[in-house]
Amino acid sequence: MILDFQANHLTTVENVDKGLFRIISRADDALFSAEISLDVKLPALDIRKAEIAVRRDVLGLVPDLSDAVEKLVGVRVGPGMTKIVRGILAGTQGSDRVAEMVLESMEMLVNALTAPELRKGMELGGEPAKLDIDGPRVFLNNVLIAEPTIKIMADNPRLKDSCAAFQDL
Amino acid sequence: MLAYSRTKSIGVQMQGPGRRVVSGILEDEMYGMECQIAVSWPELVIESVQARMKRFTTTRCPRAMEVFTLAEGWKLDHELDGRIKKEIGRNGCRHMAILMVDCCRSLARAEFTRELRSALEKDPTLDKSEFVTLFFERYPTLKSYLNLQ
Repeated sequence: MILDFQANHLTTVENVDKGLFRIISRADDALFSAEISLDVKLPALDIRKAEIAVRRDVLGLVPDLSDAVEKLVGVRVGPGMTKIVRGILAGTQGSDRVAEMVLESMEMLVNALTAPELRKGMELGGEPAKLDIDGPRVFLNNVLIAEPTIKIMADNPRLKDSCAAFQDL
Repeated sequence: MLAYSRTKSIGVQMQGPGRRVVSGILEDEMYGMECQIAVSWPELVIESVQARMKRFTTTRCPRAMEVFTLAEGWKLDHELDGRIKKEIGRNGCRHMAILMVDCCRSLARAEFTRELRSALEKDPTLDKSEFVTLFFERYPTLKSYLNLQ
């Protein structure tokens, strides 16, 4: 069956300078297209620079966000960011979609910082796997982080009870 | 140097007058997810969920698959995102939940787009804000769910 609607979203996180990350997120569908760029600096993980470009808004509903974008500077990636970003960008005077894109961009920075730790966990506490749900000819999950390392990871309050993997520990 | 990237791609099909199907993939350094969701139209009820965790990180992750089909019977309304994040995400997999939220939202946007396209073909000078009002009068449940702004 031929598709009659597509939505695509790409977010990249780049280490552009020592401790400075640039997150670029682009969303596209038939009605809406926007690109966001955030520069976030370690160690406070605060936004140093923000740019938002709405490329397509077929319905013309997204207002000028230039004042709101300036208010993003100084916002930190961390607890409370959802409420702050929605307060700045969402609602009838803003754009819920753009707010969600900004939040997802911030979340992707967290993932970018988490990925090396997971890689270490995989190298040090990984075990070979051949699961029934994977394969049977090509296995994408040939090594998985095993129980002892999962228990250590679950000590992190951000992870504990956050999903099936970190429950009942 | 690129440190991380995530891509999400979602497609919506109309399978006859009363059935819509959305399929989506999520790929990033850590996770690979795919799901297909069938929804009845205009009831907006999730009929079937087929979801596969392609790539994941821990031996415990496959436990999440037990909860994915819980979404069958749920309605596309203002409570759906929260339900998916809580019942599919927290009790299952947060990355699959993100994909399912996006898929359901895209399905609603597809419906709006399809009707807008058809209306514009009939009347290229269509008043779009009036069209939005009429659309939500026809589908009031979507007013609090479909995010156009």
